Amino acid sequence: MSEPTEEPAMKAEAPSTEKVPLGEPGEHPLSVLLFSWMRSKFFFRVAMALLAAFGAVLVALEIALSGKAVTSLANMPGFFGIVGFAGFGIAVLSGWPLGRLMRRPEDYYDTRSGEAGRDR
Amino acid sequence: MTVDRLVDFAVTMNPGFFLIIAALLVAVAKDAFTRAVALIGGPIVALLVMLYPPVSGAEVSREVFMGLGLSLYRPDSLSLIFGLGFVIASVLGGIYSLHRRDRLQDAAGLVYAGAALGVVFAGDLITLVMFVELATVASALLVFATRTGPAYRAGMRFLTIQIIAGLMLMAGAAIYGVQAGTYLITGLGELWNGLVIGIIDPSTFGGMLILIGVGIKAGFPLMHNWLTDAYPNTTETGAVVLSPYTTTMAVYLLARFFAGYDPLIWIGAAMTVYPVFFAVMENDLKKVLAYSTNNQIGLMVCAIGLGSTLSINGAAAHAVSHIVFKTLLFMTLGAVQLRLGTTKASELGGLHRTMPWTALACLAGSASMAALPFLAGYTSKTMITTAAESGPGLLAIWMLLLFASAGGLMMSGIKVPFMTFFAQDSGKRPIEAPFNMLLAMGVASGLCLIIGLYPGWFYALLPFRDQAQEFLVQDLFSMSHVLQQLQLLVFAGLAFMVLWWFRLYPKEQPGVILDVEWLWRKAGPMAGRAMTGPLRRAGRIVSGLISAATGGIQTASRQVFAADGVVSRKVPLSATAIWAVCILGLVLLISLFR
Repeated sequence: MSEPTEEPAMKAEAPSTEKVPLGEPGEHPLSVLLFSWMRSKFFFRVAMALLAAFGAVLVALEIALSGKAVTSLANMPGFFGIVGFAGFGIAVLSGWPLGRLMRRPEDYYDTRSGEAGRDR
Repeated sequence: MTVDRLVDFAVTMNPGFFLIIAALLVAVAKDAFTRAVALIGGPIVALLVMLYPPVSGAEVSREVFMGLGLSLYRPDSLSLIFGLGFVIASVLGGIYSLHRRDRLQDAAGLVYAGAALGVVFAGDLITLVMFVELATVASALLVFATRTGPAYRAGMRFLTIQIIAGLMLMAGAAIYGVQAGTYLITGLGELWNGLVIGIIDPSTFGGMLILIGVGIKAGFPLMHNWLTDAYPNTTETGAVVLSPYTTTMAVYLLARFFAGYDPLIWIGAAMTVYPVFFAVMENDLKKVLAYSTNNQIGLMVCAIGLGSTLSINGAAAHAVSHIVFKTLLFMTLGAVQLRLGTTKASELGGLHRTMPWTALACLAGSASMAALPFLAGYTSKTMITTAAESGPGLLAIWMLLLFASAGGLMMSGIKVPFMTFFAQDSGKRPIEAPFNMLLAMGVASGLCLIIGLYPGWFYALLPFRDQAQEFLVQDLFSMSHVLQQLQLLVFAGLAFMVLWWFRLYPKEQPGVILDVEWLWRKAGPMAGRAMTGPLRRAGRIVSGLISAATGGIQTASRQVFAADGVVSRKVPLSATAIWAVCILGLVLLISLFR
């Protein structure tokens, strides 16, 4: 009686000889190769940190390589970074109030049969 | 000998005619091979004719029609670079459409491309307007080809707006030609740095009509809605064929006619900025790409307004690179539409798992559009921003263009690839796009890379070749330019990640975003109903009175003429005799006093 109960436990301990696929079942091999690492738990944090570090390096390089005095906005170190960050932020954040103001239901332009426009 | 004569004849033909001939062939083609040969071979023949030397600005084909001198074919360096862009778009569209046999779309697409080529190589206003009108009809057919109710209505709106624009252009050209005494482009203005550009005076009535007509086709602010209305209503191949021509043709016309016209600087700058805000809210990614087209065309319009050799080169170069990367982006969304039947961001996400090649192509197009160094967008956009930066008193314009660059990254740089192929997993697992689609995407991605990595050959085709080469050597890959552009993109990308992390990025929601089209799709019918309401009420009252009166007459008639009515009643013979005597007496009296 005890043998059948022990069998699953033994099976679980035994090392699997089957190769576990990296991606999901049915996933394209190219996707596994190129994109599966993006599903890691820490991917977003690591990517953000790397991007910030790369941005800092770019600003540092600009400071190091420009021998000229700051005579205009264009050659102020980090100016393009500030514009990129602020411009993108303003554009995206404006989506909240503008969306509330200007978004309508999908059938907004449709009208009922017999009405002017006859859009349905 | 016969072949030589045939070649001699062919090279005097406007290259657009070869595509129109190919369209006829496609329309009657019975097998897939003939169709493929016509779809891809037509543009290639046109390209060979275009590249046949010399491109000197001389009129190759001169005709006289009803006493008017016409020039059907007049190539110069400006028309050549735009023509190259149209041929590339046509070949890509041909390959991309191979899986879908639809005579209407195939033929309309080739006629459309041929008409666009015809416009850029036309040497007079009449030929030019005729090709523009042909392009209008062919492009509308591409919207109708979806064959659904909404597409039909969108097609009608598209056609109406395009016909209005075409009529303005036609009227303007007629007035301007009469005033100038010639319709030939070479006769309308002086050479500027060896090129016939900026030849029409917009302060004249005819010139202003032309500007408005071209402006509608370019999608000037408040005239842009035909783009965002028509593109989402096309088939998966329709948008790919529809997107490259009309707006780019308008850019060519602006460069040819209005280069250096100052108001275009501000119009262009406005065009780069406002689509950014609409694109943030928009859920339909095809509409996002339409807004992004508006944004990119704005850059070119601004460059044309600046009117320097650098900026005109930038506008022409950006027209071609925009054709390549925007066609690529539309192709990737077309593949998604084919497999899932939708391009709405709220219904997509995580598609990279089963469509990795399409995802890669989308990333290539997005990076190119964001002007990542060493890709096509960078080689052309840098010229425009440098021209704006170096122009006196243009700080505000330059800042607007930089903002638009950051916003542009949000539009198709991040929103389209991220929301479609990554972001939240929609759970959908469509199969990869058909081979011909992948091939077209691969060729377009390759072109983005080739133009970006080896821009020398591309710059050699620009209108002002020497200045382009000088820019290539001194500025394009200078450390400062590369660092500045990378900074812009990296920090914009960082902003995206921060906003996403803190859940400040607005969620994609289904719905329509109000735009100028509200005026004619909602306000117009409402105003019409309000204005005609009293008339309709009065009409109802009058029709009630009339029906009451006619009803009374009918009743009375029935009573008089019915079987037992007055007229049918039996009358005694004596009464008839008396009546006859009375009538005869009356006649006698009348004749007596006559």
